[in-house]
Amino acid sequence: MDRMSEISESRASLQETMTFLGAIASGLEEAIGESANSISYLAGKRLGTRLSKGIEKTDDVEQALCSVRKVLLDNGCLWHFEAFKTHDRPEMVMSADDGQDINLVFRDCMIRQTLFKFGHHQKGSLCNMMFGFFSGALQNVMGHDSTLEILHAGENACYKRLVIHSAAAREVL
Amino acid sequence: MKLEISVHEQACRGCQMCVDVCPTKVFEFDDEKRLCVVKHEDDCIACLSCAYICPSGAITHTGYHVVKNFYRDLAFCNKMEKFI
Repeated sequence: MDRMSEISESRASLQETMTFLGAIASGLEEAIGESANSISYLAGKRLGTRLSKGIEKTDDVEQALCSVRKVLLDNGCLWHFEAFKTHDRPEMVMSADDGQDINLVFRDCMIRQTLFKFGHHQKGSLCNMMFGFFSGALQNVMGHDSTLEILHAGENACYKRLVIHSAAAREVL
Repeated sequence: MKLEISVHEQACRGCQMCVDVCPTKVFEFDDEKRLCVVKHEDDCIACLSCAYICPSGAITHTGYHVVKNFYRDLAFCNKMEKFI
């Protein structure tokens, strides 16, 4: 078999899996409503916790993100993200009432690809899987809870706000 | 390669949809020209939402990272090519 047909075949298998995953997510949302988000979140969190087992701990947010990126790369996950600072933001990592926050841009994302393949809307339950993944991985790296809020879901990139909840912020909340 | 955005002045109708959709406030409405202009190019994350939403197709991006298009069905695209 030549290289091109080999690629076409693996692409077709990947797309079948994407359609299947999209169908599950869409079906779940239709059947159980907003609870689908919690289920996807927990699935992602379990994956994040499992894949980042034994990872080096740090209190630095940017270093923690590097560790999460390494976990994704080591496991062949297509989730490229980077920290982003707009002109009106003084620092990359800022302190907020609910902890430390940083804005992230997600470029190549297997969830977005799946949603496009299936023709499903963004910001749904599958996006919560990524939120769960980060939460699980960052729990292992930093020992704190985190929230990944979707600020904007675009066609070529998504913009999100990651908040690392410190113990003190949790008490205030 | 640096990301660059351009708004075609003759095509822009000044509807401000790009101003509303942009999450990082790259665009601004110029009251004098009655057109949308690029104000903070460095803040662009290349989500391309502005380019997709613009009814006149006036916004163009260059030098950005194009996401991998795994979702495109090549067999289907080849069939459709005959009709388009």
